[in-house]
Amino acid sequence: MGFSTHALKKATAITEQASHAFHGSRRLLLVLGLLLALPLHAGEFAITGVETRLQDNVYLLDAHVDYRFSDDALDALQNGVPLTLRLSIEIQRERNWWYDATVATLEQRFRLQFHPLSHQYLLQNLNSGAFYAFQSLYAALDAMGTLHDFPLVDSQLIKEDERYEVQLQAALDIESLPSPLRPLAYITPSWRLNSDWYTWYLTP
Amino acid sequence: MVLDTLKRITSGPKPILLLFILLLSSLYMMSAATQNSVVFSRLYSLLLAINILALLLLLALIARQIISVISRYRERAPGSRLTVRLVIMFVILAVTPISVLYYFSLQFLHRGIDSWFDLRVEQALEDALELGRTSLDSRLRELLRQSRLQVESLAMESDSTARLKIHAMRESSEAVELTLLGLNGRVITSSSIDPSTIIPTLPNNAILLQLRRGLEYAALEPIRDRGLHMRIVMLVPNPDPLGEPRLLHALYAVPERLNTLANSVQEAFTRYKELAYLRQPLKYSFTLTLSLVLLLSLLTAVWAAFFSARRLAAPISDLAEGTRAVAAGDYTMRLSMPGRDELGFLVRSFNEMTRKIARARDEASKSQRHAEEQRGYLEAVLSCLSSGVLTLDDTATLRTVNSAAEQILGLEIGPNPELSLAVMQARYPQLEPLVETIANQLDHNHGTWQAEVVLFGPNGRQVLICRGSPLRGGGSAQGEHVIVFDDVTALIQAQRDAAWGEVARRLAHEIKNPLTPIQLSAERLRHKYLNTMPSADAEVLDRSTHTIVQQVESMKKMVKAFSDYAHTPKLQLESVDLARLLNEVLDLYHGDERIIVHLHIHPPLPPIEADVGRLRQLLHNLIKNTLEAGDGLAPLTLDVSVNPAEKESYRFIEMRFEDNGPGIPESFMGQLFEPYITSKPKGSGLGLAIVKKIVEEHSGILWAENRETGGACITLRLPVQSKAADQSADVDDADITIPTSERL
Repeated sequence: MGFSTHALKKATAITEQASHAFHGSRRLLLVLGLLLALPLHAGEFAITGVETRLQDNVYLLDAHVDYRFSDDALDALQNGVPLTLRLSIEIQRERNWWYDATVATLEQRFRLQFHPLSHQYLLQNLNSGAFYAFQSLYAALDAMGTLHDFPLVDSQLIKEDERYEVQLQAALDIESLPSPLRPLAYITPSWRLNSDWYTWYLTP
Repeated sequence: MVLDTLKRITSGPKPILLLFILLLSSLYMMSAATQNSVVFSRLYSLLLAINILALLLLLALIARQIISVISRYRERAPGSRLTVRLVIMFVILAVTPISVLYYFSLQFLHRGIDSWFDLRVEQALEDALELGRTSLDSRLRELLRQSRLQVESLAMESDSTARLKIHAMRESSEAVELTLLGLNGRVITSSSIDPSTIIPTLPNNAILLQLRRGLEYAALEPIRDRGLHMRIVMLVPNPDPLGEPRLLHALYAVPERLNTLANSVQEAFTRYKELAYLRQPLKYSFTLTLSLVLLLSLLTAVWAAFFSARRLAAPISDLAEGTRAVAAGDYTMRLSMPGRDELGFLVRSFNEMTRKIARARDEASKSQRHAEEQRGYLEAVLSCLSSGVLTLDDTATLRTVNSAAEQILGLEIGPNPELSLAVMQARYPQLEPLVETIANQLDHNHGTWQAEVVLFGPNGRQVLICRGSPLRGGGSAQGEHVIVFDDVTALIQAQRDAAWGEVARRLAHEIKNPLTPIQLSAERLRHKYLNTMPSADAEVLDRSTHTIVQQVESMKKMVKAFSDYAHTPKLQLESVDLARLLNEVLDLYHGDERIIVHLHIHPPLPPIEADVGRLRQLLHNLIKNTLEAGDGLAPLTLDVSVNPAEKESYRFIEMRFEDNGPGIPESFMGQLFEPYITSKPKGSGLGLAIVKKIVEEHSGILWAENRETGGACITLRLPVQSKAADQSADVDDADITIPTSERL
C-alpha cells in the first residue's frame, strides 16, 4: 500500500465525546461523566473522512486518523521510547434479535520511533514491514494517519440483502511499551490514548 | 458437596504451598520482565494481574481464617485464646523482619537505579553523537556539492537522453542509487549499484512536498537492513521551458566503518536516553515487584501463622474438650494422636487415664449392681417371711423393718425408717411394751434373748414372741441387733382353748356319765325304803336321798357349764350397737332389789363388729359375778361407764364395771380370769374365765383392779374395726377357734 499525497483533511470534528452532553441533574452522573471525559482532554485520536467504495470486487477504505499525542507520550518518543499504534477494523453483519455476526477483523500496527543521530522519525508498518523516515513528527503522523485505498473486504463475503456495520478505532498499544512503563500507562489518563469507535454502514 | 470438596481442597497446607510457589515463580518472571527480558516482557501485564489476583485470593483466605478465629474466640471455644495469642506472636515475628528488609531493600533499589545515571556519561554520549553527526554532515555537504554539479549537467538533458547520463553519473560517483523523477514522484530513469534492484528507493510525500516548494533535500536517513544512507533530492530544471521541473534523487551509503560506529553510538545513546527516561517508571516497577514479593511473603507468613497456631492449639483444645467431657462423666472420649512429641505424650496419657477411669467406674458400678442384687434378694426373703424382722443399729435406731413386721405391729413406716426407739415409742404408744422389752433386753442382755410381749393396738390384743440377737459377734452392747418376732396370739388362744376343751370333755365324760345312775339309785332307794322304814329313819333317808339328788343335779349343772365353756360356737360377727345392747341387758336387772345399776354412755358410740349372743353372755356373767361377790351386801351398786376412745392409730370402746362390793382379794389378783378361781361362796369359777374368753375372742383386752374407794373395777376394751382388712383379720382369728370348738 502506498502513502500518497492525500489532501489533509483537517479533522474538524474532534469531539464527538463533547456532544455527550451531561444534562443529568444528578451529581453522580456528572462525576462519572467527568471521569470518562478525563482521558480525552490529555490527548485523543479522531477519525475523519471515512469513505468506502467497491472497486474490482474489493471494498476499499479511505480514512484519516488525527493522532494527537499527549505530552507524556511525546516526551517518551523524544527520549527513544518506540510507540506502537493499533488500527482496529471490524466488519459485522447485523442480525435481528441476536448479536451481530463478525465477518472480518483487521488490525494494522505501526511503530513510531525517533532516530536521534539523523533527527528522523522512523515509521514502520508492522503488518507489511514497510519502513519510512520523516524529518518532522507532523509528516510522520500524517503519513501514519492517512489510509488510502485500504483493501477492506472481498465483495464475495458481503451479501447484498444484509446490512453490514464497520467499526474503526485507533489506539496506542500499551502492551508494546517497555514493561516498567506499562503499569503506569494503564493507570495514567495521558497514556490511555485512543479514538472512539467510528461506526458506519458498508455501502458499495 | 461441591462446597465441601472446595473447602477440603483449600483448607490444607498443600494448596497454599502450591499457591506460594506459583506466586514466587510468577514474581520471578515479573522481576525478569522489569529487567527487559524479552520472553517475560510480553507477559508482564498478565503476570502483574495474576499476582494481584493471587494476592487477593490469599487475602481472602486469611480473612476467612481471621473471621473463623474471631468467631471461635467469641464463642469461647477451647483453644481459641491460645490460637489468637500464637497468631499474634507469629505475625509479629514475621512482619517485623520482613518490614525492615523491605525498607532497606527499597532504599538500596532507589539508590542503585539512581547510580546508573551520570551526567558526565550522558554528556559524553551526546558529544559522541554530535561528533558522528558532524562527521556525517561534512560528508553530506560534500555530496550535496557533487549533486549540484550533477544537476547542472542534467539541466540540458531531456528525459530520454538523461537515461544514459544518469547511469554514467552514478558510476562516476559513489551513489548507491541515482534516480530522475517527475515532481509527482513518477520515475523517469534510475540507476542502481545493485543490478537486482528494480524498484528504486523513492522519497516520501513529505520530501516531495518540500521540493515542490523549491527547496532541496539532503539528510541522513537510516534505511532498513541497509544501514545509514544519505538521501539528496534536488530540483532539475527542464530544458523544455513548458515542461515541469524534474527531481534528482541520489542515495549514498555511509562508509561501512563509519556506519558501524555511528550506529553503535546511536544505539547506546538511545538506550541510555530511554533508560534515563524510564528511571522513574523503573523505580515504580521495581518497587511494585518488591512490594508484591513483600506482600506475598507477609501474607503467606500470616497464613502460616494461622495454620501453625491452629495445629499447635488443636491438641490442647482437644485436651480441654476431653477434660470437660471427663468432668461431665463421659469416659468414652478418645483423643486423636497429634504426634510423637510432648503433646502426643500428654494426649496418650489422657487417653490412658480416661480408659482406666472408665474401667474403674465400670467395675464399681458392677459391684454396686451386685450389692443391689444381694440387697434386693435379702429384702425379698425378708418380705416373704411371716415373722416380723427389725434391725437396730448401735444407737438403738430402727434400720430395717420388713413387711411382716409392719403388718403385725400395724405400722406404715417403710422398709428403712431411721427411727430411734424413743421416737418410735412416742409416735406409736401401743408399742410401748415391745419397745420397753427391747430396750430392757439391749441394756441387760448382751447375747441372744427371747421374750413374750403383749400389745393392745389396732389389731386388738396381740401376744408376740420376740427373739433378739446381736448382729455382730463379740456381744457388744453398742452393736447392731436383729429382732425377730411372731404373733402367737392365735396360737396361745388355740392352745388354751384346746387345753380347756380337753378338761371339759373329760369332765363331761368322766363325771357326767356316773351322775345319772347315782341319781337314779338314790331315787330308787328312797322310793323303795321310805315307806317301809320307821319315821325317824325315813326322815334321814328322805333328807339324804334328797341331798344326793340335789347335789347330782348341781354337779350336772356344773358339768354343763364346763361343756358350754369348752364348746365354743363360731362367732357370728355383725355390726352391734353396744349402747342398745347394754340398755337391753341392764333393763333385766331393773327391778332386782339386790342391785342398782347405773349406766353412763358417752355418745356417740361407734358400732363394733361382735357376736351379740356372746356379748350378752359376757354382760350377764359380769353382773352375776358382781351379785355373787357382793352376796349379802345391800344395796349393791354397779356403775357401768362406756367411752369411745382413740389412741394414735387405733380406736376402741372402753367399758368399766365398778361396784361397791368387797373387792378382789390380793391373792386372787394374778389368776382372777383363770377357770376354777373363785373367792365366792357360790360359783363355778368359770364366769370370769368365760368373760375373758369372749373378750379375747373379740380381740379385746381386760383387766381387774380394786378401787381406792372400795369395790372392784373391771375394765375391758374392745377394738372398733373400722377397716375391712381388719374385719377380715378378725374373721381369720375367729376361724382359728373352729377346730377347738369342734373338738368338744
